[in-house]
Amino acid sequence: MRGFLPLTIANIKSFYRNRAALFWTLAFPVIFIVLFGSIFSGGNQTFPLALVDEDHSQVSAQLITGFDNVSILEAEQVDREEALAHMQSGEFAGVLIIPQGAAASLAGGQTVSLTLITDPSRQTATTALQQVVGQVVASMNLRLTNAPTLLTIQPQTMQTQNISDAAYFVPSILAMALMQLGVFASIPLVSQREKQILKRLAATPLSRVTFVASNVVMRLIIAALQTILIVGIGAWLFGVTVVGNVLVVIGFIVLGALTFLAIGYIIAAWARTEETANAGTSIVQFPLMFLSGIFFPISFMPEWLQPVAAAMPLTYLADALRQTMVGGAAYAGLGVDALVLGAWMVICFLIAGRFFRWQ
Amino acid sequence: MAAQPDVISVTDLRRHYGEVKAVDGVSFEVHKGEVFGLLGPNGAGKTTTIEILEGLNRADSGSISVLGFDPTHQADQLKERIGVQLQAASLYPDLSVTELVELFATFYARRLPSDRLITQLGLDERRGALTKELSGGQRQRLSIALALVNDPELIFLDEPTTGLDPQGRRSLWEHIERLRGEGRTVLLTTHYMEEAEQLCDRVAIIDHGKILEIGAVDELISRHFSERTLRFRSRAEISDSQLAGLRDVSRVNHEDDEVVLHTSNVPRTIAALLELAEAAGAGDLDVVVRRPTLEDVFLELTGRALRD
Repeated sequence: MRGFLPLTIANIKSFYRNRAALFWTLAFPVIFIVLFGSIFSGGNQTFPLALVDEDHSQVSAQLITGFDNVSILEAEQVDREEALAHMQSGEFAGVLIIPQGAAASLAGGQTVSLTLITDPSRQTATTALQQVVGQVVASMNLRLTNAPTLLTIQPQTMQTQNISDAAYFVPSILAMALMQLGVFASIPLVSQREKQILKRLAATPLSRVTFVASNVVMRLIIAALQTILIVGIGAWLFGVTVVGNVLVVIGFIVLGALTFLAIGYIIAAWARTEETANAGTSIVQFPLMFLSGIFFPISFMPEWLQPVAAAMPLTYLADALRQTMVGGAAYAGLGVDALVLGAWMVICFLIAGRFFRWQ
Repeated sequence: MAAQPDVISVTDLRRHYGEVKAVDGVSFEVHKGEVFGLLGPNGAGKTTTIEILEGLNRADSGSISVLGFDPTHQADQLKERIGVQLQAASLYPDLSVTELVELFATFYARRLPSDRLITQLGLDERRGALTKELSGGQRQRLSIALALVNDPELIFLDEPTTGLDPQGRRSLWEHIERLRGEGRTVLLTTHYMEEAEQLCDRVAIIDHGKILEIGAVDELISRHFSERTLRFRSRAEISDSQLAGLRDVSRVNHEDDEVVLHTSNVPRTIAALLELAEAAGAGDLDVVVRRPTLEDVFLELTGRALRD
């Protein structure tokens, strides 16, 4: 393995001095994670609620004051028509209607039913509104009946399998970054072949095994950098920490990096010029990105697309990282994840080894 | 020189790509310590030949010995002892001169100090420059430095000066001449006959995958031409048949807009030529006397000019 270490260092220097490579492998995932984090992080979410008062009584005014005091609601009083129209356009998460004659009915000892309209496709908002409205109405009931408060609710939260959005996308973006790292490995290789650098190296005693080993090790070192960066930012900005076994996590990162490196080598075997290699990386990376459940769970996809996702190696890397890093729900078991990734890796390395041309 | 052992010995080398006979039965020897040139136009089979000798390409048939090794089966041992410069190969664009020379040195068991090499090739001021920032001449010198990192006894240079300006070419020639001074053997390819005349002890003229002639430059020229040439810009007033009738003229050729007269007696032919010009009212002629060049030999052998 003479020349292994110097060649690896030279590769890393070349990588470090190449602004484009640096951007796509290190800066791009970071930008992605910060953007996604800001869009989806559910920390201080509020829900706009339309209040339609058709009773115009003291009781309805009291009820509305009750809603005004709930911090996670942005209550706004509007008429029925406007409320429904704006609900339709998504400005309101829900509409609460206090029917005409409510005060009169209450005075007569009759039950009044309030109408709460929510959108079932906005699951978080529906759940939150139903709970909050329920609580406000209950406290109103107590006040109206003048009964003493005997039971109160002490709110507490508990982490369940139903992980937060941030916890979902941090492992996803790590998986995406590892995928890109491997796939993009094709470009310098093709460029080096095109410029006859590979041929020049072949005229020295440097062995091909040493060359490939150096290339793989260099990519793994960058994978480690990506991991530190992404996990670090996930923890720092969004409080997503690794809850699983660190060794298993590292094992999957290495397995995933190697699998996508093998796919990158296939692109390098196929592409004759740097331009076609660039096109090849796009052809490979975009379907992987959007059909692998890294941005949303596969169960959200149309049914006919789900088998496609089930064939994508990135699906299994993201799934494995989600399970081991943040305790996310399993799409497949860890054993299946490892098996599918391993199979992709071996087959792709064999194909690349068979078809790669050095000159 | 004849007593020196052969460093390279090639017999009936053949390499075909489908219907194309890139190398079609080539045989030659390179002696220790000489600069040997493969001279021919682009596509003559020079690069294929040199890459087979370097162990980068394989032969279909023929026997080859380079430093006593068979390049096809003993490439690993051979590569330790040769220096290689490839035609048109670039270098790692994002590494500096020093980094690249030091990197290549680590591939070999035997190494020259990279500092000394960089100084020798006149790259001292560019040590820290990335290779993509170098000029064409600097890049060629760097690639010669890389070919020398293992202190090789045999060096292959494929079109070392292609793409350089005349000044850069001359500077590179000095470096190549120094290699001979250091006792190294050099095999180079070129399509510049001037370069072959300047650098090579012996040349092989190669065309369509076949060697047409081998020998020392002077020997090749005198083998084909015992005469000198007179050259001047052609004039409408003077016809070729008039020129052919001049005293001692054996042949009349045209090269670009120049007339080339071959003569066995320069003073007598010049006198007759000037007389003819005056009689024809062609005015003064600027006549240049030259001995024939390798270019003329190539033209004689192939009927084509060597230049692209």
